[in-house]
Amino acid sequence: MNKFIKFIIDYVVYVAKGGPKFYAWMGFLVLFVGPWIYGSYTQATHGLIVTGLTDQVSWGLYLANFVFLVGVAAGAVTVVFPAYVYHHEPMHKVTVLGEMLAVAAVIMCLLFVFMHLGRPDRAWHMIPYLGVLNFPSSMLTWDVLVLSVYLILNLVGGFYFLYKKYVDEPLNNKFYLPIIFIAIVWAISIHTVTAFFINTMPARPMWHHSMMPIRFITTAFAAGPALIIVCFLIIRQNTKLWIEDSVIDLLSTIIIFCLGIALFLTMSEVVTELYASTEHSFALKYLMFGKHGLHDLVPWFWTSVVGMVLGFILLLVPRIRKNYTVLPYICLMIFGGVWIEKGMALMIPGSIPTPIGEFSLYEPTTLELFNCAGNWAIGFIVLTILLKGAIGILLGDVRYAPASANR
Amino acid sequence: MSKKLIPTKNLSDEQLEGCEGLGLQALGIDAERGGAVSSSRRQFIRNVGGVSAASMMGAAALMTHSDQAQAKSTWAEWFQGNYRLMTKKEKAEAIARLEKRYSEEYGKKVTVDGTDAQEGVLFGYALNIQKCIGCRRCVKACVKENNQSRSKEQEMEWIRVLKMEKGEFSKDKMDDGYPLDYGVQVGGNAYSAAGVVLEGEHYYDPEKVPESDSHYMPIACMQCEKPPCVKVCPIRTTYREPDGPVVIDYNWCIGCRMCIGACPYWARRFNWGEPHLPKEEMNPKTHYLGNRPRMKGVVEKCTFCLQRTRHGRYPACVEVCPVGARKFGNLLDPESEVRRILDRKRVFRLKAEANTYPKFFYFVD
Amino acid sequence: MVNNMIIRENTIMKMYPLSVILATLLFVQTPAAFSEEEKKCFESREGASLAIPKEIEKGWPNVKCSPDTGGVLWWGDPFDGTIPMGEMPIEADYSKGEAVVKPRENQLKLFAICGVGCHNGVFPPFPKDKNPRKLTMHTDIIPDSLDLQHGRGGIWCLDCHHMTKRKKLVDNFGNEISFNEPQKLCGKCHGPIYRDWREGIHGKRIGGWASNGKKRWYVCTECHNPHDVQQGDLNSGFAQLKPEQAPVLPKGLKNTDHERIHKHH
Ligand code: SF4
Ligand code: SF4
Ligand code: SF4
Repeated sequence: MNKFIKFIIDYVVYVAKGGPKFYAWMGFLVLFVGPWIYGSYTQATHGLIVTGLTDQVSWGLYLANFVFLVGVAAGAVTVVFPAYVYHHEPMHKVTVLGEMLAVAAVIMCLLFVFMHLGRPDRAWHMIPYLGVLNFPSSMLTWDVLVLSVYLILNLVGGFYFLYKKYVDEPLNNKFYLPIIFIAIVWAISIHTVTAFFINTMPARPMWHHSMMPIRFITTAFAAGPALIIVCFLIIRQNTKLWIEDSVIDLLSTIIIFCLGIALFLTMSEVVTELYASTEHSFALKYLMFGKHGLHDLVPWFWTSVVGMVLGFILLLVPRIRKNYTVLPYICLMIFGGVWIEKGMALMIPGSIPTPIGEFSLYEPTTLELFNCAGNWAIGFIVLTILLKGAIGILLGDVRYAPASANR
Repeated sequence: MSKKLIPTKNLSDEQLEGCEGLGLQALGIDAERGGAVSSSRRQFIRNVGGVSAASMMGAAALMTHSDQAQAKSTWAEWFQGNYRLMTKKEKAEAIARLEKRYSEEYGKKVTVDGTDAQEGVLFGYALNIQKCIGCRRCVKACVKENNQSRSKEQEMEWIRVLKMEKGEFSKDKMDDGYPLDYGVQVGGNAYSAAGVVLEGEHYYDPEKVPESDSHYMPIACMQCEKPPCVKVCPIRTTYREPDGPVVIDYNWCIGCRMCIGACPYWARRFNWGEPHLPKEEMNPKTHYLGNRPRMKGVVEKCTFCLQRTRHGRYPACVEVCPVGARKFGNLLDPESEVRRILDRKRVFRLKAEANTYPKFFYFVD
Repeated sequence: MVNNMIIRENTIMKMYPLSVILATLLFVQTPAAFSEEEKKCFESREGASLAIPKEIEKGWPNVKCSPDTGGVLWWGDPFDGTIPMGEMPIEADYSKGEAVVKPRENQLKLFAICGVGCHNGVFPPFPKDKNPRKLTMHTDIIPDSLDLQHGRGGIWCLDCHHMTKRKKLVDNFGNEISFNEPQKLCGKCHGPIYRDWREGIHGKRIGGWASNGKKRWYVCTECHNPHDVQQGDLNSGFAQLKPEQAPVLPKGLKNTDHERIHKHH
């Protein structure tokens, strides 16, 4: 037990100390927390009326970010899978970083879900026995279940690994490996369920097609590794932890495959919908070209297309792919492209037109943007802390030293 | 009764008096039930001694409610269970609590009814789409009856009337088709809607209705027999009552809006902010599952005027329709108006392909 | 007033000029008498059945009226001012339930003086046949009697109004029908509609929904204007009226232009 308490203390102390770059970065993130507190308080007291949401478009930016971040969380599996299934050694060494990313992403998901709820104070109604969980009927309950289990799997798996490394004991593989393999399958499940969450609603024809889960997974496995590459390159530059080129290259190859499939699926959807051009295509037309004189989503869509297509083409060229100065920018471009594609460009047109044909607009309010930015900032603070602690342990900077306990 | 539970004997009256300064009375929790506040203030403060740790938890949330009367019952309400699963006794208590709060808030005697479904009754609705003139009186009657929010910032209407063009085919439009380059032929008249389609105007506002070039189509909750909204609700706060209407326990809803996404008829509305219901306009005869005042952050919709229909009365929209387009009755009674319409008239269900089995039928003469 | 008129009936009949003056006076007075009760709101069609808002128990009015359109918006007491329909010799299918109606006679502007000042058989004398002719009176109701907006030239006043008893309508056999039960008259021609009405499919009813519940039945003329059912080009049977206000536009929209752009690509 002593060892464990020591682990926590050493972890926290290590994480709290850092160079000017670290403080500057954290300070930058904290800047967003002030508006976030104001925004959350205002929303808690006045209700969601402070957002741009309406009865017409009742799912907005919060849920869009949620859906995207579930993808990022699932994307962590692109690190874990090659490490454990293909025994990719250099990847194996940094698997835990992927798990940390997953933890941070799920925490962001939870923040966004709470912000989306009209009565977050009543969230306990979902806790079985205290409340009523409409399982298995409601897809939302599935989502809650798989996300919380995924969070636990990654927390346990990640911190078990780090702790063992910290005390320098061998891993108990009978305990550890099942967690890892379950987590791999689970990563797929969280995003599949999130896709089912919206595509099981025939009332919203834009979402109601069976391609949704696979599109979700492929975009997730593009956006997730894109973020991971950026993180890894930053880590390589700023810490002593050397992440092998082969790790980065494998991840960018995964992006190519997944993004390629995602683009192909998007194209298939566009052709299917626009060729037949039934009423069910109205949402897509609204998104791509605008409809009934309302065009607010059009720039978003095309920005996303440019980001994804250009990113894909650039990655295809080995010379560019292996140039680690440009690579992070390409990754950010892809990350942004997918964020739009799964966020604004998927969530919003699902509600436009309404099931009885009313076209409208959705303009997030400043407060809503504050809250979203704040959620992201908090997520990145968590991510930074988790990664920093994990790196310290991987490097051996943080290590159990019984002597020091007596000091 | 609650005295037994609370060791207040060793508290002197002065000590109790002191408690008031702490604002504890705002908690207003009866130790036994977390329920109504006792008449004597001192007695009440004694009760506070028995407040469970759990109830202290939400003190922070409470601070946002400065109004005491409201805060008191908000607390007890916050802890209450899902109405559908409550015992008879718990239901009665929940209702008493609400009656007290509403009466204080609206400055008049407000009743909250808990009448259950009547055996052998399945409510059904039929609307003569040929007769409707689009006057929107049903919309406003519904608002008056069901205590919806009414302000420019938050206006709530459960019924939406669509105006649809009868359609006009003209020679001038013959050449408006797609350019031939696309290799697709489209007649120019394809560019304007014709007939009853769901591409109407929602905000039409002419001097007089009906306009000679339009049809009108009112849409509200269809009280589906296979309601997708019920399926997706994570906490079963919305459910189908035995006599047919799909209802919501407003005190249990978490405001996730899954149901809004799932409803194919756009029948559900959300309380984005605290509803605005003027005291003098408030309808004091309410039902727990029907028209009682709602709070911010929850979903609401048509219930076939449960508070009326469970007592034999037509829904408000039926009574106000100037052309008698709206018909209501018991689907299990072959002599009822709706059943006669099903027998006699050409009847259709909106979006039948959704397979939700609405109990709201449209018909033509 | 009515009683007075009846008492003096005989005298007036012998003094045609005076009776005309009196009738005109009454006629002119009627609109004035109406504006005095401005609080009234109309139920179905403007100018037909009217409801007078009043409190029936504390905080509970019999009706609520629309400030925008003057129509009834909400019914607190659906049976306000009604009389049993059962007293009327009609075969409506309400046998299982209690049926009430709002009497029409006291809602008709000229009913009180009809057959007294005019149409008393003296001045003017009763018509000798049913041939259409140009009317000089009642042009407010029927602007052009030779272009009657009912029946498309196939009917004439006296197909509905009793030839000699002007306080009555008339059936196919020449028997009297009360103004309170116009359905008997309209049913002469509009058979299928009459059947639907009896079964509760056509027309308006308020009160209890049960097939054996108490209902107030609306009779034909409460909704339709028999002197102008065609409504000109509308050809609809129901007169146009002012609609209630449109919903508030959702956030982000400034106007409703987008609703009128029907380009289907
Ligand atoms: S119409 Fe919509 S809200 Fe009403 S029961 Fe059906 S799905 Fe539910
Ligand atoms: S908003 Fe309320 S009623 Fe609707 S699904 Fe969520 S909890 Fe259920
Ligand atoms: S009140 Fe009757 S006529 Fe008017 S819009 Fe409603 S259904 Fe149509």
